[in-house]
Amino acid sequence: MIRFDQVTKRYDSGYEALHDLSFEIEAGEMVFVTGHSGAGKSTLLKLLALIERPTRGSVALAGQNLNQTRRRGIPRVRRGIGMVFQDHRLLMDRSVFENVAMPLLIAGLPREETAKRVRAALDKVGLLEREKAAPITLSGGEQQRVGIARAIVAKPPLLIADEPTGNLDPKLSTEIMELFAEFQQVGATVLVATHDLHLIRRMGKRVLVLDHGRLIDDFRPPVVGA
Amino acid sequence: MNTRKATAPRVKPAPVARGASRSAKPRLNMRAWREHHAYSFFSSLARIGARPWATALTVLVMGLALALPLLLFLLLQNVQGLSAGWQEAREITVFLKPEIEATAATQFAESLRVRSDVAIVKIRTPDEGLAEFRSQSGFSDALKVLQANPLPTVLVVTARENPRENINATPALVEQLKSDAKVDLVQYDAAWRQRLGAILALGERVVQVLAGLLALGTLLVVGNTVRLDIQSRAAEIGTLQLLGASKGFVRRPFLYIGLWYGLLSGFVALLLVLAVQLALGDALAHLLSSYDNRFAFSALGWIPASLVLVVSAALGWFGAWLVASRHLAQGQPA
Repeated sequence: MIRFDQVTKRYDSGYEALHDLSFEIEAGEMVFVTGHSGAGKSTLLKLLALIERPTRGSVALAGQNLNQTRRRGIPRVRRGIGMVFQDHRLLMDRSVFENVAMPLLIAGLPREETAKRVRAALDKVGLLEREKAAPITLSGGEQQRVGIARAIVAKPPLLIADEPTGNLDPKLSTEIMELFAEFQQVGATVLVATHDLHLIRRMGKRVLVLDHGRLIDDFRPPVVGA
Repeated sequence: MNTRKATAPRVKPAPVARGASRSAKPRLNMRAWREHHAYSFFSSLARIGARPWATALTVLVMGLALALPLLLFLLLQNVQGLSAGWQEAREITVFLKPEIEATAATQFAESLRVRSDVAIVKIRTPDEGLAEFRSQSGFSDALKVLQANPLPTVLVVTARENPRENINATPALVEQLKSDAKVDLVQYDAAWRQRLGAILALGERVVQVLAGLLALGTLLVVGNTVRLDIQSRAAEIGTLQLLGASKGFVRRPFLYIGLWYGLLSGFVALLLVLAVQLALGDALAHLLSSYDNRFAFSALGWIPASLVLVVSAALGWFGAWLVASRHLAQGQPA
């Protein structure tokens, strides 16, 4: 599903975020990317979403070399990826329903089907009764769940999340991670960048550890406390 | 490249991904396009409705800019109507020598009437002339002092329309009248008419230039408003781009906003013109009645009015397109 081949990313400032990074993720896997802040977690996700381009090496997604994707093709690639952000990036002047419906609107789905799918996604994150609310009236955890509903509503084959639990307490964080795990169970590939080692250990999924832009570990911890 | 991408979710068995890949198929593009336009239509209306004062201000500025050339156009149209009326009249005023008696004047008029290039000959006797002079000039007291009537007999000759003849040329009839022994003076204001024609042509050009400049101004007003709107929505645009929105999808609501601005300002311009027409209506009616209602004020018709709306809407759309295309091309998601 995802294949990084000797990827180096150097920003215009000269800062090298990733160095000679190679790994592969199978379809249907759930993988955590961890490391200290500035280790290159976000850059890795940005290369997948074509927000950044690698300086050297290649990134392939679903068999397609992203280096060959032209500017015009970027939206199509992104429509195949559900993205969850630490700061949610909700559209504050629109209701919860409209936020979640946005990817389907972009894909051009008919309105009735959109409504059905949005309610299903909101039901999954437990916010069905808040569909008319303004995002600003929701708590941080609820906002993040709206963000997740938006990421999964179009049923993308790949879900990526950048520090999705960064601002949440441990209980909420666990709930969020359970949602991602559920999504993996129905067949999607899930990639989560986080520095919450405690959480990672509990989930028992594959972990990629980055340090100063290099891959220093790739392991699957035994499930604890399960 | 695209086909590989579209089929990928099916190869990798992710049953949940089928819907997303299906929506990318071209046979749904037409419906998607309709859905996108419906979305842009309503969301753009909601956006300008959310800021009624800012919208009203923009629309008023644009409306005023559009109303100005429109009013000038209307003025010009009416003056042209008046001057056409004057030119049709083609009246030649012939002052006979004072010693010509009434019977001789009548004979002379008859001799003119039979000519092929003369349509009408009206005789104004000295008495009629004096009466008219008294009633209109306000010199009635001064005229009482006069012992005898100093006015000559006047013939008002209307030349017959000759299509082969240049409307601005002096008819041969005028020259012949001038050389007649009974005639003292012939008044035919060809030069004045030509000058009026030139002034009207200049006025027309001025209206065209002004309309062009103000249309440019309207374009800039729309462009600037949309530019500010894009800047204030930078975060939202970035998010939409991350969700996979194409450039067209992001740009379309702004184009609709431009369209609404243009259309609304067109309405404002028409309302302003209507208000000016109402405000000047009484005074104008008074002025026209002094011309024996030979001329009627021509208001802005339905066709020019709807043309104003079409043009203003097009200006709004185009202004928004110029700015949105430029700014969204630079925009990279954060």
